[in-house]
Amino acid sequence: MGKLLSTVFAVALATAITGTAAGQQYPDRPVKMIVPWAAGGDTDNIFRPFAVELQKHLGQPVVIANVAGASGTVGAREAKAAAPDGYTLYAVHDYIHLVHYAGITDVKYTDFDPICLVSATPSVLTASAKTPWKTWKEMAEDAKKRPGQITVGATLGSTSHIFPALIEKAAGIKFKYVSYDGLAPRMNALLGGHIDLTDSNLTQKGKVEAGLLRFLAIASEKRNPDMPDVPTLKELGMNIVFEVLRGVVVPKGTPAPVRAKLGDACAKAAKEPAFAQSMKLQGTTAAYLDAAAYAKFLDKIDGENKAIMTELGLIKK
Amino acid sequence: MFDLLVQALGTIVQWKYLLPLFLGTLAGIVGGALPGVTITMTIIVVLPFTFGLDPLQGLAAMTGVYVGGSAGGLVTACLLGIPGTPSAIATTFDGFPMARNGAPGRAVWLGVWSSFFGGLLGGLFLIVVTGPLAAIALEFGPWEYFSLFVLAMAMVAGLAEDSLIKGLISTAIGLLITVIGSDPITAVPRFTFGSELIAGGFPFLPVLIGIFAFAQILTDVEKLGAPKPAGAGGIAGATLSISHPKVIGEILSRPVLLLWSTLVGILIGVLPAIGGSAANMLAYDQARKFSRRPREFGTGIPEGIIASESSNNANVGGSLVTIMAFGIPGDAVTAVMLGAMTIHGIQSGPLFVSQHAALAYGIYASYILAHLLMVLILAVGALFMIRIASLRLSMLAPIVLVLCVIGAYALNNTMQSVYVLLLFGVVGYALVKAGFPLAPLILGLILGDQIELNLVRAIMTDADPWMFVTRPISGGLLACAVLSVGLALWQHRRHRRTMTAAAAEVDF
Amino acid sequence: MRLGRDGIAGLILLGSSLALLGASFDLPSLPLVPVGPGFYPRIVLSVLAAASVVLVLQDIARAHAAAPAAPAGAARRVRVLVAGVFAVVGAYVFLMPLLGFRVATVLFVGGLQAALEWPRSTRQWTALAVVAVATSAVTYLVFERYLLVLLPRGRWTGF
Repeated sequence: MGKLLSTVFAVALATAITGTAAGQQYPDRPVKMIVPWAAGGDTDNIFRPFAVELQKHLGQPVVIANVAGASGTVGAREAKAAAPDGYTLYAVHDYIHLVHYAGITDVKYTDFDPICLVSATPSVLTASAKTPWKTWKEMAEDAKKRPGQITVGATLGSTSHIFPALIEKAAGIKFKYVSYDGLAPRMNALLGGHIDLTDSNLTQKGKVEAGLLRFLAIASEKRNPDMPDVPTLKELGMNIVFEVLRGVVVPKGTPAPVRAKLGDACAKAAKEPAFAQSMKLQGTTAAYLDAAAYAKFLDKIDGENKAIMTELGLIKK
Repeated sequence: MFDLLVQALGTIVQWKYLLPLFLGTLAGIVGGALPGVTITMTIIVVLPFTFGLDPLQGLAAMTGVYVGGSAGGLVTACLLGIPGTPSAIATTFDGFPMARNGAPGRAVWLGVWSSFFGGLLGGLFLIVVTGPLAAIALEFGPWEYFSLFVLAMAMVAGLAEDSLIKGLISTAIGLLITVIGSDPITAVPRFTFGSELIAGGFPFLPVLIGIFAFAQILTDVEKLGAPKPAGAGGIAGATLSISHPKVIGEILSRPVLLLWSTLVGILIGVLPAIGGSAANMLAYDQARKFSRRPREFGTGIPEGIIASESSNNANVGGSLVTIMAFGIPGDAVTAVMLGAMTIHGIQSGPLFVSQHAALAYGIYASYILAHLLMVLILAVGALFMIRIASLRLSMLAPIVLVLCVIGAYALNNTMQSVYVLLLFGVVGYALVKAGFPLAPLILGLILGDQIELNLVRAIMTDADPWMFVTRPISGGLLACAVLSVGLALWQHRRHRRTMTAAAAEVDF
Repeated sequence: MRLGRDGIAGLILLGSSLALLGASFDLPSLPLVPVGPGFYPRIVLSVLAAASVVLVLQDIARAHAAAPAAPAGAARRVRVLVAGVFAVVGAYVFLMPLLGFRVATVLFVGGLQAALEWPRSTRQWTALAVVAVATSAVTYLVFERYLLVLLPRGRWTGF
C-alpha cells in the first residue's frame, strides 16, 4: 500500500511540474464558460453555438457550465471568485447592471475585464391570441380603460420586466405583473391565455405565423426584414429601443496576453457565418465589439440602466 | 405521426444511438437485478455519462435504463425470491414458488414476455396520448398546476407508509428543502443564515442523489453485519430453456388480465409521484380480486407474474407521458431524466412534442427498441445476472459513490454540489432511521419550487383565492385530493396488509 | 412519561419549524408581489409544526415498552461500520479539491473497500489496489477525455 501511495504521488508530482511548464502555452486545457442561467434559456441558446465557434479558434474545448439561481447572481459570484487565469469565462447580459441596482447582489460589472460583445436581441411585445387585440392601438386603448388589470408575464427585476415597464411609462398605462422566470414558461402561459402580454423575441415567429401569438411592437430602430408587418415602438410614438446585449467577460486581473488571445478567438468566432446563422434562429443578430469598445459600451449602459431603475422605483438605497 | 415514428426508429438503429441505448438497457437490467440497487440508483449512476453525449443519445440511454430496470428485477425475483427492485416485489409472490416447483424457465420467461407486452402496450399509449394530453396541459394555468401537485402529495402521503402523519411530515420536509435559498420570485435569500454555500438554494439533483445513494448503500452496509438471507443462491445451475411460443400463448390467452394490469400500470405512471413499486402491487391485488381462483395466488400461478410484470413496464410508458406532456416528473427516475434534459438545454413541457419532435419521437423509438433489446439481453444473460447479483458490496459501494460524486460535481462544475450531496446523505439516512418514508420527501423536493411558483402566480394573476375551487379542472383535482386522503384513512383503518410489504424494502 | 423515537423526532421538527416560522417574518417583501417571500414558507412550516405536534401526541398516547436493551455486538458493529462509511466519504469530499480527483479517488475507493471488508491476504490487497486505481483511471479517462466533464484538480498537487 505504501509503495502504491508513493508511486501515485510521484506520478502526481511529475504531472504537476510538466503542467506548470505547459501553462505558458494558454490554453492547454479545456476552458469553462459560466452561463448564469438555466440550460435551454435564451442566453444559453446563444452561448452554446458561440462556444462551438470559440473552441475552434481557441484550440481547446469550451465547456458551458450553467450555474443558475437567484436571478443569475449565483453564477456571477462564482465567476467573480474564479481564478483569473483565462480558464473561466463568464457570459453576461444587461441583467448584471439591473440586479446590482436592485440590491440583489454586490457583484458589479467592474469586477470583470471585458473580452467582447457577441450578440443583440431586440425585444418584442407579444400578446396572447386569446386576447381580443390585433394591434398595439387596441391594446393601449383597452389598457387605459382597465388600468392594472392586463397581466404581463415577466422575470421580476430583469430585462423582461424593465421592457414593459418602459412601455407603461411611455404610453401612460398600467400593467399587472406575474412572475414567470424565463422565456419558455412565459410562452406556455401566453399560449394557454393565463397571461395577456409578455416580452419575447423573434424566436417566436413560427407561433405568430400559426396564429397562436401576436407581435404588437418591436423595440428595434427599424422594422425587421423577416417580420415587416410588426411596427417599431418608435413609429408608435414611443422613444424606446430595447435590445438584450450579450457578451463575454473574465474575472478582473486576468493577464493581458491571455485576454488578447481570448479577444482574437472571440472576434473570429463572432464573425463566423455559422454563428450568424444560428443567431438568426434565435431572433438575434451577431453584434461584435472588441474589448475596448465593449468596455466603453458597458460604462454607457450601466448609466442608462441606473437611470431606468431609479425612474421605476426599483433601485435599492 | 406514424412516419415520424418510422423516421425516429431509423435514427435510433444507427450505432451512434443504438450503443447508448443498449448500454443503458444493460445497465438497467443489471441494476434492476441487483437486490438493493433500485432503478433510481441506476439512473443516477448513468447520469454523469450522459452529460457529454448529445441529448438524444443521453435520453436513449436513460430510457433504456428505465425499461431495463423495470424488467431486470424479475430475474432475481423468480430465481432467488428477492425482488431486485421494489417494482418486482409482487413478482416474487408467484415467480419464486413457480421456479421452486421446477419451472424456473417458465417463471422467468413469463415475466420477460409480460414485461415486453405490457411495455409495448404502454408505448402505444405513450405515442397516441402524449400529443393530445400536451394540448390539454396548455390549458393548465397556475391554479390547475397547484391543485395537481396537491393531489399528487395527498396520494403519496396516504399511500407510501403505515403512518399518514409521517408521510405528511416527510412531504413537508421535502418542500422545506426547496424553500431554503433565494425565493423564486424576488430572489430574497430565505433561511440561508448568510451562508454562501446555500445562497442559491440546494440544487435538486445533488440532494436527490445524496438522499438516495446513502440511504440505499448504508442500508446494504447494515446488512453486511447481519447474517446472509436464507434462500440466497436459490435455484442455481438451473436451465431456463423453454418453448417461447407456449409461454407467449399463456400470456396472450389471458387478454383481459394483460390489458387490465397494463392499464393499472399506465395510470399509476401518469399520476405524478407514484412509481412502479405501487403499480406492481396494485396490479397484483387487482388480478387476485378479479380472479376466479384467488386462493391459488401465491402458489406459483402464471396470473401473478403476468399482472406484476406487465404493469411495471407499462408504468414506464405512463411516466414518460407525464414528463413529456406536462414537463413535471412522475417519479424520481423521470425527475433525473428531466434534470438531464435541462442540462442539455431542453425544456420539457406542453410545447415539447411539437417543438422538439425529433427528440420526442426519438424517445418513443428508444422506448420500443429498448424492449426488444431487453428480451435479447435476458435471453443471453439471465443466468449471468444471478452471478452479478452476488457481487461483493465492498467493491460495488465505493464505485457507485464515486459515480454519485461525479454526477453531483458535473452538474455545475462546483464542489458545492458535492458538499450538498454529503449533507443530504446524512439527512436522508437519519430520516430513514427515524422511520420516515422517503418517497413523499422526494416528491416534495421534486415539486416544491413549482408549487410555490404556481401558488404565487395564481395570486398575482387574480387576488381571488376561490379560483382554485371554482375553475373546473382545478376544483376537480382538489376534490380528488380530499377523496384520496379520505380513502387512505379508511384503508388504514381496514387493513395494512398489502402496502406494508412494499414499504418494507427501501422504497422510492 | 417517556418519549420514543417518534416523540423525539417530532420535538426536534417542531422546534426547528417554529424557529424558522419566526425567522420568516423578518423577510423583506417587494411592493410588486402581493405576497412576500415568507408567505409560502409559512404555510409549509405551519403544516410541519402541526404534524409534528400530532406525531408527539401519538407517541405519548402509545404505551412504551421498557427501554431497549443496550446494543448487542452485531448492532454496535453496524453502527461503527455506518459511521466509518460517512467518515471515509467525508474525507474524500474534503480532500478532493486539495488532492485532485484522480489521487483522492484512488485513496477513497481503496479506503472504503478496506473499511467495509478488511482484506485478509495479499491477493485481496492486490484486488483492492487494482479496483482503486482502475476506478480512478477509467472514470477520469471516460469523463474528462470522452465526455468532456471536467473533474476537480488538486490545489496541493495541481493534478
